[in-house]
Amino acid sequence: MTILLMGHPNVGKSAVFNRLTGANITESNYPGTTVDFTESYTFIGGKEAKIIDVPGTFSTEPKDEAEKVAMEILKEHEDAIVVAVLDATKVERGLYLALEIMEKNYPVVIALNMWDDAVKQNISIDVDRLEEILGVPVVPTVAISGEGISNLANKITEASRIDAEKLEKRIENLQNEI
Amino acid sequence: MKFDTERRWELIDKISRETVNYGADKTTLKTILAELTVKPLTGIPFAVAVLYGFWAFFNAFAGFFTDGFFVPFFDNLWLPWLQDIFPLEGSWLYYVLVGDPGATNSFEAFGILTSGMFVAIGIVLPAIVAFYLFITILEDSGYMPRLAVLVDTILHKIGLHGFAVVPMILSLGCNVPGVASTRTLETKKQRFMMMILLSIFIPCGAQLGVMLSLIPEYFGYIMLYLLVGFFLFGYLLDRIIPGKSPEIMTDVPPFRLPTAANVTRKLWVKVKGFFTNAIPFVLLGVGVVNLLYLGGVIDWLSSVLEPVFTGWFGIPKETVAPLIAGFLRKDLAVAQLSAIDMTGFQLITSVVIISIYFPCIATFSMIIKEGRRSGGILKVLGGSLLTLSTVVFLWGGLLHLIGMVLGVR
Repeated sequence: MTILLMGHPNVGKSAVFNRLTGANITESNYPGTTVDFTESYTFIGGKEAKIIDVPGTFSTEPKDEAEKVAMEILKEHEDAIVVAVLDATKVERGLYLALEIMEKNYPVVIALNMWDDAVKQNISIDVDRLEEILGVPVVPTVAISGEGISNLANKITEASRIDAEKLEKRIENLQNEI
Repeated sequence: MKFDTERRWELIDKISRETVNYGADKTTLKTILAELTVKPLTGIPFAVAVLYGFWAFFNAFAGFFTDGFFVPFFDNLWLPWLQDIFPLEGSWLYYVLVGDPGATNSFEAFGILTSGMFVAIGIVLPAIVAFYLFITILEDSGYMPRLAVLVDTILHKIGLHGFAVVPMILSLGCNVPGVASTRTLETKKQRFMMMILLSIFIPCGAQLGVMLSLIPEYFGYIMLYLLVGFFLFGYLLDRIIPGKSPEIMTDVPPFRLPTAANVTRKLWVKVKGFFTNAIPFVLLGVGVVNLLYLGGVIDWLSSVLEPVFTGWFGIPKETVAPLIAGFLRKDLAVAQLSAIDMTGFQLITSVVIISIYFPCIATFSMIIKEGRRSGGILKVLGGSLLTLSTVVFLWGGLLHLIGMVLGVR
């Protein structure tokens, strides 16, 4: 099993990586510090899993060399599970990348990282509803302190592929309810 | 099935309206501070205060360890002990390892085990620990990218566009990750420009530390001359090299309280790296220079290069030896320079030349590695060497001229 950690620069992918694997790569409050990838092994659901910390990328259409590296990694691991790490204070931006990856038919789990910052900024996110609409597991996390990480590890095995057409319908139906 | 960009945003918008609720924006001390640190009017005084804080912290920390502990230890215990017990005085091995048998301090003995160990552990180690500790705290707090934005704003005001400030700031720690981070730039032109400018003009943390420890009175002049060179040659390269250099956008992260665990971990990684990657090179540098002395190579090179050194750059021919050591470690080279008898202005000039004549081996290999991704190795290598030699002759010679015109020595 291969797990890719993907998301925008500086959303805490490296911190999530360290928490999941017990590795010691440097975390920085600084966008673009991971320009190459790091991999490590851990046990998820009793099985050995390879986890790759993919350099930050804004979309699946690469604009620079670091993003190209990210896309190469995604293409090389067609059978991987993707943990889309989102900044909980900027959900929309992160969802864009997550949707792109879901459309490419990768099983996805969403980590709403920096949940504590969102709480402090009075941003509330209906996690259950988000899960229901997207059809993939959504887990709030605070990677620097470790909150939510074990929950995330458990949910990785529940990652699922989505049908983009059905997803679109679900979203359209929302509109009808309002 | 895939959506197009517009459709994807539409869908996200709908999801977000259903699930995310943005409460009233709170104005906190954090958001006020965040605002104040990037606006030039308040940001510049803030940056000056931070730099002053760094200076004070550095002097207290490195001074405490270097002058208070390592200098007495190496001069009063280590050196006399080695001179006492080491056999074969007068042999080449003694010369390479211990150096001058009559030396009274570790700095001027020039042996691998004396000067080499003293420079590596007594001077550079406290300097980089102080330096990286401060930088790490600034990085983790989120101040560094703000400093980048501030510098960027100021550069724009004076008509300089498209400089990648983040790789610049990273390079102040070590040029190697600085060069690696140019990978986040969009065009080949920008990558090449930044790579070459960084490796020529931005001194690394170890070199900065040694300069601050050994020649603090000249530090300001050296940095000023290097930074002016950075922007001047940046401006020229931008005109000369074909291609585009688009605006650079940086995401500014929120202020955060650095966690002790992460700061210690980063510091540990760097200190460990220093022991495994840097110390061997410092010792090797001392050894190579000593062997070249014994073989007569240094004397020969000095006399061959003397016209260029004294005539063009205005520095004594003895600086050839540190220049050779500088290929391996710039910190060692600066330490060796400060032990050579010359005037203040000559010292400033020779430190500037040590910084710009060639990147250290580690940085150079990184340029070659990254060059493969940025337009082909031959192009990058040729371009770098051409830029390097032009810069060294023009910028180094100009400093000599400035000295002559101003009549300073």
